[in-house]
Amino acid sequence: MKRTGPVLLGFLVGMLMLIQYFTPNRWIEARYNNVLDWKQVVFGVTLILGVLSLLLHHGRLIRRRASGWGYSWVTVAGLSVMIVAGVLRGKEHGPYPWMFEYVQSPMQATLFALLAFYVASASYRAFRARSLPAGLLLIAGVIVMLGRVPLGEMIGFHAGERFYSLATLSDWVLAVPNLAAKRGIMIGVGLGMTATAIKIILGIERTYLGKGA
Amino acid sequence: MAPTGSAWHEGLSRVDRRVLFLAVAAAVALPLLFPLNLPIRISQEARAFHREMEGVAPGRVILLSFDYEPDTMAELDPMSLAVLRHAFGRGVRVVAMTTYAGGVGIAERILAQAAAEAGKSYGTDYAFLGYNPDYSATMLRIGESLRGAYPTDNYGRPTDELPLLQGVDRYAEIPLVVTISASALSEYWVIWAGGKYHARIIAGNTAIQAVLIYPFLQTGQLAGMLGGLKGAAEYERLVGRDGAGVRGMDAQSLAHFLIVLFILLGNLGYLLQRRVRARETRV
Amino acid sequence: MSATDAGVIVAAVLTLAIFSFLYRDNPFYRFAESLLVGVSAGYYVVHYFDSGVVHKFWVPVVQQKQFWLLPGGLLGLLMLARLWPRVQWISRFAIAFYVAAWSGYLIPSVLQERILKQVAGSLLPAAGSASLGAFLGAALVLCGVVAILVYFYFSAEHRGLAGRVSRVGILVLMLGFGASFGYTVMGRLSLLIGRFQFLFQDLPASLRHLSH
Repeated sequence: MKRTGPVLLGFLVGMLMLIQYFTPNRWIEARYNNVLDWKQVVFGVTLILGVLSLLLHHGRLIRRRASGWGYSWVTVAGLSVMIVAGVLRGKEHGPYPWMFEYVQSPMQATLFALLAFYVASASYRAFRARSLPAGLLLIAGVIVMLGRVPLGEMIGFHAGERFYSLATLSDWVLAVPNLAAKRGIMIGVGLGMTATAIKIILGIERTYLGKGA
Repeated sequence: MAPTGSAWHEGLSRVDRRVLFLAVAAAVALPLLFPLNLPIRISQEARAFHREMEGVAPGRVILLSFDYEPDTMAELDPMSLAVLRHAFGRGVRVVAMTTYAGGVGIAERILAQAAAEAGKSYGTDYAFLGYNPDYSATMLRIGESLRGAYPTDNYGRPTDELPLLQGVDRYAEIPLVVTISASALSEYWVIWAGGKYHARIIAGNTAIQAVLIYPFLQTGQLAGMLGGLKGAAEYERLVGRDGAGVRGMDAQSLAHFLIVLFILLGNLGYLLQRRVRARETRV
Repeated sequence: MSATDAGVIVAAVLTLAIFSFLYRDNPFYRFAESLLVGVSAGYYVVHYFDSGVVHKFWVPVVQQKQFWLLPGGLLGLLMLARLWPRVQWISRFAIAFYVAAWSGYLIPSVLQERILKQVAGSLLPAAGSASLGAFLGAALVLCGVVAILVYFYFSAEHRGLAGRVSRVGILVLMLGFGASFGYTVMGRLSLLIGRFQFLFQDLPASLRHLSH
């Protein structure tokens, strides 16, 4: 029951969602819409579960006075203030949108902006043309980096009426070898996704159910 | 004992990272403070994106999805704003949504700015439906009924009562879906909305994502694309109103050349060291 | 001082606190990082509850009598069983429902959009090109895709002709990864440009308001 029940439910729901694609039957279409709506409720609860897990984790750190537990208080305080502000003053006005705009947004943006420095450092330290494949990677990277900015677009020569620049070369790299590479990966991943989905519906693949399934 | 002169080879590969960080900061900051106003070439993908927007008749309703959060707003805010300015300037109406909870605040800010500039009214010229969990279910549900996917807008108003949505309830009634997306959301729009419901889709993406979806552009599954801050700058030029995209291009240029210089320096140091070691081994 | 000006100054301080990590890990950065985790978690949970539970379940069921949504609510409750190890197995029903539903509608869409149309996109341009240049480009794309798919076929050893073709596939992949690297650098620098635009434009404007 603990294993068979979920697998059987998965089979029925999976087959319904697969069949609906091929039939205009109204009853099936209505059930399809039902499943989509139920799925959104489940997803919403799952996301809340994620946040609850975060709260429990930091609660444990605070209780045990683990290393850095003071920062856990900051996390819990921030979380609590947002929930109270959102519930009492609403999402449209007051502290809730203010904190999103002036606390969360700038920090989230800056955290990712840090990566610019690290990508520069990594390019300098680790990007070595040790072999032919690595050399091709480097050449393609340099061409695209230079060809996709205004300064690089100005570097080139006239041949007849056309101006051939680094941008022309960059466009070719993107439209031919890059296209081939991404398409090959896309088809390969697509085949893998389809095979896995079939195995899930048929109950062959059960690792997503956790230990003991 | 190391031969004389090998120290500078090793020095080439051992510049302190904080020096590198300062150089990057300078390469980005200086052009922002002292603009160079470099000319911007428009790519074919951006022209296609612009052409699709131009092809929407005034009065029709497009679906604009803010599929990103604050972490990528530097690249994507300029695109979103330019799309709204373009649409509102042509009398095209916009129903907006987001597939990220963090996109709600961003969408509200940009919609408010663009609507105020153009004197547009909520409910008649534009509306914001808000966030729904589970993007794939939402994209598929819109294909059956937009009002079924969003019974109320972001502010709790029943979508049945919005004048904007009268006669607009499915992809078939929406001439264009515009997704401004980080991560793989533009690909998912193609798979779910384009696959089953044949929606016509154009996408503005982060640079990291843009390079991955060229296959969809080539097959026509995506009708147009903007890639990164450069794509935003190109579109701003086409729309005729420069913004943060254009302003960032000088800094982007200088910083790219600096990174290429770092790569060349690092490889030069590596090659010279290899040669010195090979010579030492032979000796 | 307006809420906007105060907000810009707070945002600038927090931005610099995050940037301080470039020098080294320090208490200002750790405070800012912990605050970000808490505030963003609080922001998300309010939205998830409002859109996923209130608007998608409570309002339709209680106010609009859409009782066919009740199974969704039940499945959502089953998911909460994950919090208690002894009854965690109950959440498998909700997980199985969700994953299998997604798998069901994924199969035809992915087959069509990621596989069949991409195969057609590789073959048709090569067959119907308007110019020599377009034909050569299309032929190169087709050869590259085939070579990569040969490389990804790991059920047979890459020897002989298959080995040589898969080597070509690797080289094509490297060109693609190089393009990705170039765009990744572009993307990351753009995010930095955005923060600097904030520090050099929005912050001085707010400080000027304060001084007047």
